[in-house]
Amino acid sequence: MAVGSNGVSAFGSSYRFSDQAVKELAQIVSHYPEAKAAMLPALWIAQREYGGFLPPEALKEVAERLERPYSEVEGVATFYTMYNIRPKGRHHLEVCTCLTCSVVGAYDVMHEIEHQLGIHHGETTKDGEFTLTEVECLDWCSAGTVVQVGSKYFGNVTTENVKDLLDELRGSENYTPAGLADTITKIQLPSQGAK
Amino acid sequence: MAELKLLYKHIDVPGIETIAQYEANGGYSGLKKAVTLDRQAVIDEVKTSGLRGRGGAGFPTWIKWNGIPKDTSKTHYVICNADEGEPGTFKDRELMLRLPHMLVEGMAIAGYSTLATKGYVYIRGEFVESAMAVRKAIDEAYAKGYLGKNILGKGFDFDLYVHMGAGSYECGEESALMSSLMGERGQPRLKAPHGPLPVISGVWNSPTLINNVETYACVPHIVENGGEWYAKMGTERSKGTKLFSVSGHVAKPGNYEIEMGTPLMELLELAGGISGGNLKACIPGGCSVPIVPADRCASVNLDYEAAAAAGTMVGSGGCMFFNDRTDIVLLMRRTSEFYAHESCGKCTPCREGTRWIFKILDRICSGGGLQGDIELLLNICDQIDGRSYCGLGDAAAWPIRAAIKNYREEFEYWIEHKKSPVGPNCVPPVPHAVNPMLTLTPA
Ligand SMILES: Cc1cc2nc3c(=O)[nH]c(=O)nc-3n(C[C@H](O)[C@H](O)[C@H](O)COP(=O)(O)O)c2cc1C
Ligand code: SF4
Ligand code: FES
Repeated sequence: MAVGSNGVSAFGSSYRFSDQAVKELAQIVSHYPEAKAAMLPALWIAQREYGGFLPPEALKEVAERLERPYSEVEGVATFYTMYNIRPKGRHHLEVCTCLTCSVVGAYDVMHEIEHQLGIHHGETTKDGEFTLTEVECLDWCSAGTVVQVGSKYFGNVTTENVKDLLDELRGSENYTPAGLADTITKIQLPSQGAK
Repeated sequence: MAELKLLYKHIDVPGIETIAQYEANGGYSGLKKAVTLDRQAVIDEVKTSGLRGRGGAGFPTWIKWNGIPKDTSKTHYVICNADEGEPGTFKDRELMLRLPHMLVEGMAIAGYSTLATKGYVYIRGEFVESAMAVRKAIDEAYAKGYLGKNILGKGFDFDLYVHMGAGSYECGEESALMSSLMGERGQPRLKAPHGPLPVISGVWNSPTLINNVETYACVPHIVENGGEWYAKMGTERSKGTKLFSVSGHVAKPGNYEIEMGTPLMELLELAGGISGGNLKACIPGGCSVPIVPADRCASVNLDYEAAAAAGTMVGSGGCMFFNDRTDIVLLMRRTSEFYAHESCGKCTPCREGTRWIFKILDRICSGGGLQGDIELLLNICDQIDGRSYCGLGDAAAWPIRAAIKNYREEFEYWIEHKKSPVGPNCVPPVPHAVNPMLTLTPA
């Protein structure tokens, strides 16, 4: 059983999951009647272990640990928007331009961020600090325009306060893609004392 | 009619998200009472209450609960659909963030009455803050003996886990959610009458109960106060209270809990009235439901039957108001972009049709609309609606059809004059005027 072991994979590539990650995965697997169900959690762990995105080796490691075909893991990873198949910037700004945000200025906010960062949405700044993408409704429409960065939602973002937001992020380590994957992994694990 | 706070009664109590404060305000007395009752008696209370699913379809909750087999030859599962993704809706997110124990308590009661031993809260991946609150609540409930082995000394075992999504609207569709929970792409499964009912054969071919966050949150109140008490609120067939998420051009956007059957215009008043102009339109139940023009808003009452009679739906309760700066064609262009992006790709009418609708609306809004485009749009809607594998396809067709029915002249204006009938300051802005390359990029 690959889940509990560590070391070198059958394909010769090195595993990157830490001992801690191996333990976390084993515990999450125990929540389900079959290991395959831990596919999404395993991809979250991998996204953290591989520094915020999922290179082919990460998908391979998940496949081997869960004993599933590589193609299946890749199929799942590419279906969901929050798994990063390519690296993202240290801060991934996801601007909601969906219905109600779009009528209270979301496109202006997006345009302003593009202007200030000098990139188009879908791109990453040269220094690797910021990636900007446009996303569907983040379900906090009462605070439009909403921008998600890592595990945090910023509400009521306007063209006026965009600069403050970017400045705050530049000085922060809190909302990185790997940090998001770490938080999500922890949420799926009971705290000490509980089952 | 003002707000009627049942779920939200104690939402402003500081610390209500902790088990101590929740219990101090009557929390977990529903579960304590439930475990002294016969399992069927709990289901009967839910039946008497008339509670209907709050996830969008309004299906009677007790029918699902009662449909779970009464023997345990297989493990029974209880799942919470916390994948809230419908544009305009943000009630489940707030419920979990601020009242996480109400969900935990409701699910434990559901577990007890359906003989389930395992439960999963499937939470939308983006909802990290809410999920952290649910995590903490589950840990606290274990420590207090409300979850785990031999709950409240009654020999009832129930484990509750959090399962995080990873970004997909389609995973809110219940059979797609089950696929995702089992580690697959979030694509739907064959449903009754062609496939099995989840209550008989859901996840891992076992009896599975799946309800929305708000549905579970209603249950402790119903058990504690009795189904009859709950059924006194609301209308003949739509009972109790409902959370409505109000957004758009209103002075005080937010979640409001009102009695079922409250007039739409009273909800608007609660939210501080329209801002930045006069009322032009309302989409009362999330972006999938038909749009209502201002002059008909006064005829809409917010219960399942009255909303349907007025040509729209209560849906998930995502109520969006728009002022007269709003360009309906641009709004529908953005709506169709949402469905095109979220279509899971499993069936052709939806996968292709949603993209065609978006492309045609995008062409119209780029000044390239053709005579006949309106008929073409309607034709595509007819070919998607009722011919798709799951409800997403239907939901992509309804808003477009309703917008053309109610605002046909705006579509015609766009096609003829190649500009917005509302004027250059319309919202949403004409995308290609803001930035020539602003269209959605796949992540
Ligand atoms: C495309 C689509 C998306 C849906 N999204 C959600 C959702 O985010 N949350 C939800 O509770 N129900 C959603 N539903 C409805 C569910 O399929 C299901 O009816 C609901 O979870 C049942 O719970 P209820 O009876 O308590 O309402 C969606 C349905 C469709 C077709
Ligand atoms: S209607 Fe078809 S393509 Fe659209 S989401 Fe459902 S199954 Fe997928
Ligand atoms: S439309 Fe932006 S959060 Fe809902």
